[in-house]
Amino acid sequence: MNRDLFKKSNNLEKITFIFDAFAIIAYITLFLVFFGMLIYPIDPTTNEVILEELEFFFPTYEFIGANIGYAQMNLIISILVIFMIISVPMFVINVKKLKSRTIYEVDSYVAGSKFTNAIINLLSFNIGGFVLRIWNMFILVEFVKGYKPKDFFKSIIPAIKAKFSKLTTKKEKIDESEYDDATYTLKKNIRRQNIAHVLRLLLTYLFLVFMALIIVIPFYWMILTSLKDFTGATSTSPEFFIGLSRMNWINFKVVLEELNFGLYIRNTITVAIFSTIGTIITTILSAYAFARIEFKGRELLFTILIMTMMIPGELYIITNFITVSKNGLGWVGTENNSYFLAMIIPFITSISFIFFLRQNFKQIPESLYKAARIDGCSDFKYLTRVMVPIASPTIFTITILNVFSSWNAYIWPRIITGVGGEEGKQYWLISNALRDTAFVQDNGRVMYNLQIAASTLVTVPLLIVFFAFRKYIMNGIGRSGTKG
Amino acid sequence: MASLIKNIKSSFRKMTTSIKTFFWDMRRAFNARKKKIGAYLDKKNLNLATKFPGWARALIYLSPALIVLSVFTFWPIINSFRLMLYEGYNMSNNTITGYTIFGNFIKVINDESFLFAASHTEGTAVMNTLIIVFISVPVSIFLSLFISVALNGIKPLKGFFQTIYFLPYVTNTIAIGLVIAYMFKADGGLVNELFGLGKFSWVEQGAEYWRSMFVLIFYATWGTLAFKIMVFLTSIQGIDKQYYQAAAIDATPRRRIFSRITVPLISPMIFYILVTSVIGAFKIYNQIVALFGVTGRPAGANYTMQSIVMYIYQYIDGGGNNLSIAAAGSLILFGIILVLTLVQMQASKKRVHY
Repeated sequence: MNRDLFKKSNNLEKITFIFDAFAIIAYITLFLVFFGMLIYPIDPTTNEVILEELEFFFPTYEFIGANIGYAQMNLIISILVIFMIISVPMFVINVKKLKSRTIYEVDSYVAGSKFTNAIINLLSFNIGGFVLRIWNMFILVEFVKGYKPKDFFKSIIPAIKAKFSKLTTKKEKIDESEYDDATYTLKKNIRRQNIAHVLRLLLTYLFLVFMALIIVIPFYWMILTSLKDFTGATSTSPEFFIGLSRMNWINFKVVLEELNFGLYIRNTITVAIFSTIGTIITTILSAYAFARIEFKGRELLFTILIMTMMIPGELYIITNFITVSKNGLGWVGTENNSYFLAMIIPFITSISFIFFLRQNFKQIPESLYKAARIDGCSDFKYLTRVMVPIASPTIFTITILNVFSSWNAYIWPRIITGVGGEEGKQYWLISNALRDTAFVQDNGRVMYNLQIAASTLVTVPLLIVFFAFRKYIMNGIGRSGTKG
Repeated sequence: MASLIKNIKSSFRKMTTSIKTFFWDMRRAFNARKKKIGAYLDKKNLNLATKFPGWARALIYLSPALIVLSVFTFWPIINSFRLMLYEGYNMSNNTITGYTIFGNFIKVINDESFLFAASHTEGTAVMNTLIIVFISVPVSIFLSLFISVALNGIKPLKGFFQTIYFLPYVTNTIAIGLVIAYMFKADGGLVNELFGLGKFSWVEQGAEYWRSMFVLIFYATWGTLAFKIMVFLTSIQGIDKQYYQAAAIDATPRRRIFSRITVPLISPMIFYILVTSVIGAFKIYNQIVALFGVTGRPAGANYTMQSIVMYIYQYIDGGGNNLSIAAAGSLILFGIILVLTLVQMQASKKRVHY
């Protein structure tokens, strides 16, 4: 164990991360620059996009003196997106690995993964990362095997030869006639069992792959269609793959800018943030009261709350609509509308989350509370200093679930913004916009590629959040299910 | 050069430490003041923190939630019973023309788009909902049970498959619904292309009732699979390994292990999922909106794909012209859900044990 080499390798890896981060920033800025350069046909009189001409519009762009054609532009943006998709998760995984790796876990596979990472770096034009990773690989090889770089190159060919010779030498054939009957049947049974086992595994995997395909195909088809042009999206014999240079990134730009999806996404994020903050605060406070403070009628009040969970939400929406409109609080349907208030306030608390969090709080031992009280800790301090940190995974799950449900909200925003007519359209959330925006050309043909591009825009942020917090979300869902 | 850097470093450190000590001093002074005030209050027997009884303290913590809940949850429950008794309620000027006891219920039940279809149309709100519930719930429960058992039996790629099966949970219902409708398009849709069906219309003009229903049930099942797989997998992984080891020693066939060990041991979870997914399927709405639009009627169709919830919402949509009928409809929905829940709870008391 050469600790110096291990330390050296780790330090080198840290320096490599700087290069990686620079590369990622470069990809993102370049993507934004090129995406910002895209133009679409604009009607000079109305200043709006002409959807009919979108697919026949092939402008050339100029970037630092070079002329870039339409197809080349698409190719560049596609490549940049692929680089981002590969390099960002690789970066995050590498940082996590470095944090958790101990000296005892380093073996030749780590050096091998360094090499593959270096090759990926080279392919994504991250030369600094490539050079440093290769260097790091040599350090690791020396750490694991004790080879200097020169010895390493010398050792490659004998190693391959050894592997090859192992493959080519056949096992000695055992003469089965030597067995007695009992051994023979035993061997036969074992072989039959093994075959059955392999077959069963094969069938299991086939079933799983088939179901996974059914799950994944809508996503694949969505992303594929969002990058097609109008002819491709409406053709009677659709293509299953499209080349990088034929990906129409302009679709996303038209959806974001001309069909106002930028605004709708902003609206949704605003509603999601405020309603989540409200939910977290009210939920923590009341879950604490139900879990720790003893008062008369606690169980009764809690039972009433649980019982209301059975009542369908439609029943609330009818009256809530009256409550927020003219004859109630006057948030909508009057002269000075505050749509955001009407969309946020009814959702700043949730009985199911209170229930979920209370169960979690109850598992925290009572003795902690008593110890804190003896030390002169007030209730509120105990809540913020002890309970919230302990229950933070649950609180995080609640946050994510709440954000997801705001992102999915359809009927309440529809009712609220429907009152406002044209003004209300400015406050649409994404689900409303997806359903109610007319993705049609002037002659009435539906622009499916734009519609699906909007769907992709709505889905992809959710997927990114999901992949970033995969473990938290999946564990949280599993636990919330088992608790209920 | 080196000394310069050293100087800068040391002066920076001094600065930070002085700022830190300043804040610590502030804090200490504040705490001393607090202690003094507390001692004074204790002496005069006025300290609120110790004097307050439990319910008053609880009220402070509960008040934010309770205020919101009372306005947006408890009041609506009371108010829907009031609305149900009104006749000709006008939302814009808050007037009514009279009272009735069962009038709104009778109107809902007699409505030809609610329970019994008129001769020239197909599908009503209740019938559609029942079909969706009774097909999509069993299908999705069986599928998710099989998938989670299969997932539990493999080692390589398990996390990968788990992640994929979870994807439908983290999507926008409307967005994927539009994609599904596009995939089932008659002209050049993916499904027709894959299965070589030609121009077979599923959800558009010219589609028949059962084809539209098939797509709807497919989408409803697709979307709810993720949660069920997740929950079943978690509970299957919680089963004691000894049961399986004992079964392996006895050379129990797989099928019997599934029916005699796995299913009975997770039966409480299956019942829980059954209750929640039946309730969820009764409230189906977003999926229908995504596939068939807000009216729930494909273009030019003589049938409707409305669900009960959609029936209720059509009275709120567009200014809320007949909220009493909506209230009566939602109370009927509540009644159905309540009865089903009670029945299932009774059944689960008898059946769920091991």
